[in-house]
Amino acid sequence: MNPYLAGVLLGLVVVAANFVSGRGLGASGAVKSAIVAGVETIAPKHADASPFYHKYSEAHQGKPLNNWLVYQMLGVVVGGFFSGVISRRLTWKVEHNPGIKSKTRLIFALAGGILFGLGSQLGRGCTSGSALSGMAVLSLGGFLSMAAIFGTAFMLAYFFRKLWI
Amino acid sequence: MGPLVVNEVISENTNLLLAFFIGIAFGFVLEQGGFSSSRKLAGVFYGYDTVVLKVFFTGAITAMLGLLFFSLFGWVDLSLVYVNETFLWSTLVGGVIMGAGFIMGGYCPGTSFCGAAIGKIDAYIFIIGLFIGVFIFGEAYNLLEPLYMAEFWGSPRISEYFGISEGVTVLVVILAAVAMFWGAEWAEKLFPRDEY
Amino acid sequence: MKNINLTPRIFLSAVILSLGLIIAAVPKNTTTPFKLTAQQILEELKSGTQYLEADAIAKMIIEKDPVLRLIDVRPQSEFEKFSLPGAINIPLDNLLAPEFQEVLNQGLMTNVLYANGSTRANEAWMLVRQLGYENNYVLQGGLNHWFETVMNPAAPAATQSDDEIAKYDFRRGASQSLGGGALVSAAGNSTDKSGGVPKPKPQGKKKGVKGGCS
Repeated sequence: MNPYLAGVLLGLVVVAANFVSGRGLGASGAVKSAIVAGVETIAPKHADASPFYHKYSEAHQGKPLNNWLVYQMLGVVVGGFFSGVISRRLTWKVEHNPGIKSKTRLIFALAGGILFGLGSQLGRGCTSGSALSGMAVLSLGGFLSMAAIFGTAFMLAYFFRKLWI
Repeated sequence: MGPLVVNEVISENTNLLLAFFIGIAFGFVLEQGGFSSSRKLAGVFYGYDTVVLKVFFTGAITAMLGLLFFSLFGWVDLSLVYVNETFLWSTLVGGVIMGAGFIMGGYCPGTSFCGAAIGKIDAYIFIIGLFIGVFIFGEAYNLLEPLYMAEFWGSPRISEYFGISEGVTVLVVILAAVAMFWGAEWAEKLFPRDEY
Repeated sequence: MKNINLTPRIFLSAVILSLGLIIAAVPKNTTTPFKLTAQQILEELKSGTQYLEADAIAKMIIEKDPVLRLIDVRPQSEFEKFSLPGAINIPLDNLLAPEFQEVLNQGLMTNVLYANGSTRANEAWMLVRQLGYENNYVLQGGLNHWFETVMNPAAPAATQSDDEIAKYDFRRGASQSLGGGALVSAAGNSTDKSGGVPKPKPQGKKKGVKGGCS
């Protein structure tokens, strides 16, 4: 699909989300809900003691998985799958620069994921939640987030070029 | 009229159901835009594939214009819509860490779920990393709390911060984006790429 | 003239630039939508449901009913000269100021608007009713009627009904307690003909949405 068209559709989805629910999209928040739910099930005493889990659970009346973002992310998986089906892009593969091994790429994927998980919690949002949805409502935090993420990635791009080109 | 759930036009449970459908649309559009491929996502930083820039900025601008026009027609009350808070240091430091994660992992949380939906193994590993990262934050929360809570600026909009009207802010962003679109075309011609 | 090759990029840029110029030029929409139509307001005015009688209010004051909130819509100078016990002052001219909206738009208290007569209080009532606010009422007859009936009740002739005599007793007791005299427990015997004051309708206070990734 033409990227500009995809962009327009994406923007319309954000408008729809704001119109219906008064909030933009998001992604990392669903991961947080899952972690909080997991820790509460496995180690409830620890969850109660730590302010991080405790505050979140209280704010969601003891049902951390019953929130907007979790349902939205379930939809994302369904939507992505459906799109993959109709565009015949469903394959198992590891994407990387042919010049390196799959294993190297996977190690960096894991490292990247850990950093992103940590960073998104600190930054109170990821590119979907803070940058995209934040920019849609002209939030200062959204623009700062956007600038920090993409700026840093550009600056570090040279050091990780072997992964991609 | 809008936001529907705040004005109690729909119930909270309908809201959650609609969240699911909005998610489907979101995932579909992301995947159609090619965001399920980490090589495409990382491409913008090397110039060989600027799809991220085009989709992201077009999306942000469409959303900005959409919301402002909706507000102009009285279809949505922008004062009731969520504006994310600005905690200066945690936003910047978090953004830097995320930028590093982006260039290493080649995904962001939303796109990684898309990639996982179509079978990209690196996306699955990225998601595992996400869970680990969030868990680390949860455990280290007591250490990180001062940084997390520092410099709370409320929820200022860019237009309020710079003292210009919302319409003019959007126009400035549009001008910047159009300039970037032309720059992106030039970069793609300059940096070749192979099929992936 | 050379034909411009209309690529998606050029088309999109043209569209968003034009829309951007429009949105930058047009002034922001700051009108507050009216929640009730003129017809609906007229119906309510005709049925007079916004009125509360002086006796009912006096009873609430004496019993120190916690949901009662008296709002004086006269100018501040008149408010300072005399006001009903516990009343707050929201002059009609400032009725739409943002700081008063929380008082007027809520679901816990019964707001009773009053002025010297009924006119200004009715004007205030119409304004807040149009915005869809609930739980706002008008003291029928205003302070003038209040003084005539509650504070200086006319003694009924012996031939009046028992109800009238009971009302008179109540008012005498009320005026004493409201005038600062010793509390006469005539309030307990009053007939409830003074009309049940409707219970406040709870309003979900419209909060903005909490969203984001946290």
